[in-house]
Amino acid sequence: MTNLQSLDLFWPELIITVVILTALIVDLCIEKSKSDVVGWVLVIGLLITAIAIWNQDKTTTTLFTDMIVLDPFATFFKLLIILSTLLVAVVSWQNNELDEYRKGEYFTLLGILVLGLFLMASSIDLIMVYISIEVVSIMSFILAGYLKLDTRSNEAGLKYVVYGAFSSGIMLFGLSILFGLTGSTNYFIIQKSLAGLDGSASAALVMALLMILAGFGYKISAVPFHFWTPDVYEGAPTTITAYLSVAPKAAGFAIIIRFFHQVFADGGALADAESLSMTDVPWPEIIGILAVATMTLGNLVAIQQESIKRMLAYSSVAHAGYMMLALPVLSIQTVYAIMVYLVMYLFMNLGAFFVVITVKNKTGGETFDDYRGLGWEMPFIGVVMTLFMLSLTGLPPTAGFIGKFYIFSALISGGSQYYWLAIVGGINSVISLYYYFHVVKVMFLEGERKETLVQPPEVMSGVLLATAIPVFLFGIYWNPVVNWVQNSLIFYVQTM
Amino acid sequence: MYRDFGTVLVAVILGIVMVAIPLLIQKLIAPSKKSKDKLQTYECGEEAEGSAWLQFNIRFYVIALIFLIFDVEIVFLFPWAVVFKELGLLALIEMGIFLIILIAGLAYVWVKADLDWVKRNVRYGTGRYQDVRMEKTT
Repeated sequence: MTNLQSLDLFWPELIITVVILTALIVDLCIEKSKSDVVGWVLVIGLLITAIAIWNQDKTTTTLFTDMIVLDPFATFFKLLIILSTLLVAVVSWQNNELDEYRKGEYFTLLGILVLGLFLMASSIDLIMVYISIEVVSIMSFILAGYLKLDTRSNEAGLKYVVYGAFSSGIMLFGLSILFGLTGSTNYFIIQKSLAGLDGSASAALVMALLMILAGFGYKISAVPFHFWTPDVYEGAPTTITAYLSVAPKAAGFAIIIRFFHQVFADGGALADAESLSMTDVPWPEIIGILAVATMTLGNLVAIQQESIKRMLAYSSVAHAGYMMLALPVLSIQTVYAIMVYLVMYLFMNLGAFFVVITVKNKTGGETFDDYRGLGWEMPFIGVVMTLFMLSLTGLPPTAGFIGKFYIFSALISGGSQYYWLAIVGGINSVISLYYYFHVVKVMFLEGERKETLVQPPEVMSGVLLATAIPVFLFGIYWNPVVNWVQNSLIFYVQTM
Repeated sequence: MYRDFGTVLVAVILGIVMVAIPLLIQKLIAPSKKSKDKLQTYECGEEAEGSAWLQFNIRFYVIALIFLIFDVEIVFLFPWAVVFKELGLLALIEMGIFLIILIAGLAYVWVKADLDWVKRNVRYGTGRYQDVRMEKTT
């Protein structure tokens, strides 16, 4: 579609652009103490965007002369991103860490981040892939270092920049090799010319693949590109940590699924057919090994953490590993499983981080010591946190169990060569039980009972309920999620 | 494919050799008469003053960034002006939107007092500018 025609189908992104500008200008007109108003602009703007996305034509087409794509798959991720942004924006008002700062830029940058994530979920061109990843990265750098007066936050921002710049540089190099081999930046043309490449090019192709994985792996914090994760997650404002662990990861998976299914495979899986790898490059094996390394390392290192925030950082690395497990299997079930997992993961991980924020607001700390006896002092927080920990472990009857169940069943139905992945995944879930339940143990079995009970503020309780109820509900009645994912499994596949 | 990269290797080796040989030749045949003036850093013919390793004011970077944005604006305006007659009203609207976005940026740096060399006009500062709240200059 040409540029002008595309504008008609580009409304959500245009609305976000207007929201960003409005937020910026509103911020200029108000005093620091009132800068929460900008958050309202963002929240209302995102709600309007969500309505615009919901009412959009259900057509699947490419926009802006094959730069980005509009299909239910992208729409699914856009709604997921809006949902997590809304939750995070509401909690940002409550986060004491941000109190000394103007929040105007904070919400404006969050809006730009959403725009970048939207483009990430829908790009089908190497250049768009790079630009959208950069938009997301740069906004995340600033937000991670938003607490100017806190050296930890400065460190987080700086480390994020260094790792981010390096990995996106490597990714760009990989993309350029891919472009050199195939002569195009469009996914579908690359896919076609990859099929025609002779075996002598496969060494270069493996190089390109590994380099591109560096960029993608960095976004979803997969081993061995995870080194930034714990430090950035620890130093960044906790709301941003929560956001980084969910939304960019979801968009990262969107980009990976699209890239590997439409460039390195014939895309058959996306049309619910038998899918074949386009090249003899062993990319499913590479990703399988990376997935195993990711979750094993994440789980093993999480055990040793003193700080809950760092523990959750490593746990989010491990969860990226679980989702990556399903990538090597080229079937529609695995894409389906990853999407279901992402929905479940959104609620449970955001919820766990929101608990960390509530506790930090009250006690000012985020180590295991600060959680001693918390279950008796703040029973609501204790119960909710236990639920999130259960869910992150993957025990029934919680959302996490359903997510893991879909991943493992997709692996088993993929054939016997994937059994070992499922087995390693199972073992890892057992390992994770230890450190998740360490939190529960500290909260309920240690420390002294207090006479006075403390209730978190109403808004926090509301948001915690908004994440806890789905975590519990989707563990028992997960049909709505499954149906939504099922309806979103329509990709734009170019027929040539 | 290894043969393809062999060409690259040959080019790399040739490149190194072609740089090394002239350097070697001038080392061998050029007379070496070093004096204080010759060893000085060339600064457009001026006499060098102090070390270059000094702290620059951070404001230079802010000004450079702002300059860059409006420089890019000009870069976009020239080709737009060339084809403006053919595209008509649509082009005008498009460029209008583009300029509004840029002007919003200008308004931002203005209110945040980044256009003042000496940051005096801080209206709502954070951090160490918190107490520097000044009257709005009229």
